Amino acid sequence: MEEQGEFVIPATPQEVWDALQKPDVLQECIDGCEEMTLTEEGTFACVVAIKVGPVKARFTGTVKIVDPHPPHSYFLDVSARGGGAGFGSGRAEVELQAVPEGTRLNYQVRGTIGGKLAQIGTRLFQSFSRKMTRTFFERFSQRWVR
Amino acid sequence: MYTFNFRRASNLDEAQQIHQSSSDAVYVAGGMTLIPSLKLRLANPDDVVDLSQIDGLGSISSADGVVSIGAMARHCEVAATSDIPALAALANRIGDAQVRNRGTIGGSLANNDPAADYPAAVLGLGAIVHTNARAIAGDDFFVDLFETALDEGEIITRVDFPIPRRAAYAKFANQASKYAVVGVMVAETDAGIRVGVTGAAACAFRLTSFEEALSTNMSASALDGVEVDSSDFNSDLHASAAYRGSLVTVMAKQAVDQLTT
Repeated sequence: MEEQGEFVIPATPQEVWDALQKPDVLQECIDGCEEMTLTEEGTFACVVAIKVGPVKARFTGTVKIVDPHPPHSYFLDVSARGGGAGFGSGRAEVELQAVPEGTRLNYQVRGTIGGKLAQIGTRLFQSFSRKMTRTFFERFSQRWVR
Repeated sequence: MYTFNFRRASNLDEAQQIHQSSSDAVYVAGGMTLIPSLKLRLANPDDVVDLSQIDGLGSISSADGVVSIGAMARHCEVAATSDIPALAALANRIGDAQVRNRGTIGGSLANNDPAADYPAAVLGLGAIVHTNARAIAGDDFFVDLFETALDEGEIITRVDFPIPRRAAYAKFANQASKYAVVGVMVAETDAGIRVGVTGAAACAFRLTSFEEALSTNMSASALDGVEVDSSDFNSDLHASAAYRGSLVTVMAKQAVDQLTT
């Protein structure tokens, strides 16, 4: 699975960078995120309940920030397990760039899913991940639109 | 399968009451998506509320230019109707015989699978979805991936399809599942030309650029050069987004050819 996109956020790269490191901000913006804790500098543990049509599963995972260049770019390594439902892992490359409207965030994701979810889910996975990403950045941008 | 309580409702109010009083309940209509999900342990509800014994939910009738199909009508029953041949033909190509004998129109619409056939018919024919609480215009019903305008616990009771002057449905089916890789319903209705597309994106949608082109000239050639924006289309191991974009045009042309010959 590969996915890329960009969003423009009405804030400076530094503000975006800082917000993206805060567990409470991430929890608020990730749809279905029930827990997000900083376990050590640059590593988060999370619990996310997902619902895709008839499928409901609770994933526990870790998110690790790799090779950070504040406030310009970093990699996110993500791995998650959903009990009997399956597992997933991936790497996202995130780049921040100052633009007149605020900050342009570019992301590129490569990931794989396995287990039962992969058997029935590949058909839906991309649409689902796109929806999650869109929701995330909509909520994230809302922080600066008051 | 995990354990759950099987609750059989005898009327709509009872079904909704059970749903409300449960911490995690799902309705089962035909169960063609829900039961496999339960068996794979991809869903774990406390209560499964069966709608199959509720009176009148499965009836099909036709009056005043409208075909009214009860939510629990099976695909095979819709396939046997005659007032809207395009709708019957669509129902007859859903899944396999077993699915058509069990699956229901209400279940399919409430589930809103991005590759289901009925959403293309609801949009293409301008149907109205009736629930136990209200009537929802087909155009407003499909919101996003597996997401509809239905509120939590709301139950579809019937779908009213206005009989079109002429209509046709063409789909490119996945060979294993018979789900629509892309399916297109083209209809000439009293309210104008309508084009409903399923399978291509996160949920079914109307393609207004095709509707406009066909309004001036109802022929396949009218769609030549009309761009389809496939940037948000689905991409999976069966078909890339660009391929689905191309299929939308090909299927729409096939549907137009069907209804003009």
